[in-house]
Amino acid sequence: MLQKVLIANRGEIALRVIRSCRERGLRTVAVHSVVDADALHTRLADEAVCIGPADPARSYLHIPAIIAAAEITRADAVHPGYGFLSENPEFAETCAQCGLQFIGPLPEQMRRWGDKVSARALAKSLGLPILQGTGLVADVEDAVRKAESLGFPVLLKAAGGGGGRAMHVLSSKEELRAVFETARAESRAAFGNDALYFEKYLERPRHIEFQILGDAEGNVHVLGERECSIQRRHQKVLEEAPSLALSDELRNDMSLTIERAMREVGFLSAGTLEFLLDESGQLTFLEMNPRIQVEHPVTELVMGIDLIDEQIRIANGQPIELPTYPLSPRGHAIECRINAEDPDTFAPSPGTITELHMPGGIGVRVDAGVYGGGRVPPHYDPLIAKVIVHAPTRARAIAKMRRALDETIIGGIRTNIPLHQRILAHPAFEQGRISTRFIDDLQS
Amino acid sequence: MKLDLDQLREIIRLLDESNLTEIEVEHDDDRIRVRREPGPSAGATASETAMAAAHSAHPAGAPGTEEEEKDYVTSPFVGTFYRTPSPESEPFVEVGDSFVPGQVLCIVEAMKLMNEIEAEAAGTVVEILVENGAPVEYGDRLFRIETS
Repeated sequence: MLQKVLIANRGEIALRVIRSCRERGLRTVAVHSVVDADALHTRLADEAVCIGPADPARSYLHIPAIIAAAEITRADAVHPGYGFLSENPEFAETCAQCGLQFIGPLPEQMRRWGDKVSARALAKSLGLPILQGTGLVADVEDAVRKAESLGFPVLLKAAGGGGGRAMHVLSSKEELRAVFETARAESRAAFGNDALYFEKYLERPRHIEFQILGDAEGNVHVLGERECSIQRRHQKVLEEAPSLALSDELRNDMSLTIERAMREVGFLSAGTLEFLLDESGQLTFLEMNPRIQVEHPVTELVMGIDLIDEQIRIANGQPIELPTYPLSPRGHAIECRINAEDPDTFAPSPGTITELHMPGGIGVRVDAGVYGGGRVPPHYDPLIAKVIVHAPTRARAIAKMRRALDETIIGGIRTNIPLHQRILAHPAFEQGRISTRFIDDLQS
Repeated sequence: MKLDLDQLREIIRLLDESNLTEIEVEHDDDRIRVRREPGPSAGATASETAMAAAHSAHPAGAPGTEEEEKDYVTSPFVGTFYRTPSPESEPFVEVGDSFVPGQVLCIVEAMKLMNEIEAEAAGTVVEILVENGAPVEYGDRLFRIETS
C-alpha cells in the first residue's frame, strides 16, 4: 500500500491531490520552483522540495529533479496532475524504473493515444465513431488534393498536437496554400513533430466528453459525460454535467461502446474520451486524454465520487469502488475556471493577490491554488481557481453559480469572472443553446 | 589509485598551463576528470561527469540576489549531498582549504548519478553548511566561501 505521494504539479490540481491523500492518511510531498516557495501547495503538503528555477523546463518538467525529490523524501508514488508531465510516457516509465508507483494510466496508453492520427485509427478499430478525416499529408499539393476530396471547410491539425493548439480552419484551397508552411512550422515548434492531417470542420458542434475509470482487474466504468462547449480558442472556460444535448438512449449506447473499447485496450486509471456532437446529433471521436482533467469535479459532484481517491485505489491494485454501476447523474453541476487574465483582452494578469474571498454556502465547491497575499507568478498557467456548484436542476445550478461569482472578491489582479457572468446571464446559455462558437458569438 | 589533494592540484595546474579544456585520469575503477568551463556567473557549476543528456549542467542557481549569493556555493540540483568521492575517502575540501576554479567541492547525487559540483572561481572554504549525506534542494547553500 502506498504511504507517501509526491505531487509533480502546482496550483489547484496539486491541492486537489493533497486533499484526497490527506483524507486517506497518506503523507504528501510537494515539489516547487523557486518562485513557488510560498505557493499554497508548497505550504500545505507535509514536505516540500525546491526542484529548480521558475522556468518549467528546469523544474516542473525536469524529470531528474522530480525523481531526486522523491528519492530524498522517500516517497513511494507520484501523482502527475494534468499538464506538465502527466501524459509523458518517459516520465511514467522513469518512475516505474525508480520504484515509484505512477498514479495514472500506463505509458503505453499515453503513446497509443498521444499521436492524433494513430489515435483516430485506434478509435476506429475499436468501433468508436470518428469524424471524417484524412491520413497524414505529405506536402502542400498532397494537402490540397486531400482537402478537396474531404470537402471544404476543413480543419488542419497537428498529428502530435493537443490542447487545442496549432489548428487552422480553412475554407478554400487558396487559404490552405497560404497557411500550410506556417502550420507545419508551428506544429514543429509546439510539438516537435510537423506531421499534419485534416478533419472535417464542423460549424457549430458541441464538445462532449466521457469520464473513464479502469482498474487492474480489467473493470472499466464509464462515469457519464461532461458538456465542455463553452470554449475560447479551443480552451475550455465553463463546463457542466450532465449535457442537455444527449438523450438517455445516446448516452447509454455511447457508454456501452466506450466501455467495450476501453476494456479491449486494458485502460487503467482515469481518462477522458472527447467527442464532437454535430447538429444532426452524431457523436464523433476527437481524442483520448489519459490523465485526470481540469473539469473532473463536475463529474464528481453529480456522481458522488472522488476520482483522485479512485486513482489511488487503482494504483494500490484495488478494484474501483462504486456504490452501483452504472451510476446515474444526480442533479446538475457547473464549473467556472477562474483565470488570472483580463476579461476583455484575455491578456495574462499575474501579480500579488491583495484580497481574496472565495464563495461558500450550500452546493458550492472551490478548488483554488491561491490565497490572499499570495502571488500569481507569470511563468505558469493562468488558472488560479475553479468554482463548482451542484444543484437539483440546471436552472438552479446557474442561479447558484451567479450568486457564487457575485460574492467572490479577488483583488490585485484581474480575472475572467466578468466573462463568466456574461455567459451565465445570456438567454441562449440559459436555454442550453450552446456550441463551441458560443464565446465568439457572444463577443461579435 | 587514491588521489590526494596535492595530486589533484597538480592535475589542475597541468590543465591551467595547457590549452586543454579537460583532463581525465583513469585507473582501475577510479576515474577523475578535471574540466575547464567557460565561466557563467557566481557560485559553482556542475560537471557533466555522470550526467545524462537530460540533466544538462546548469550554473548553480542563486535564488536570492547575486550580491548575497556570491559568498555561497549553492546546489544546482535537488539530491543528496556528499563531501567525499566515496564513503571511505577523504572529503574534497575542509574548512580553511583554498580552491581553484573547476575544483570539485562536493557531490550531489540525483537518480543514482554522482554530480560533481565544481568551484566557479578561486577562493577559500569558510563554512560547510550541510551534513554529509543530507538531502539538499535546488538553491540550498552548501558552502560559505570567500572568493580570492
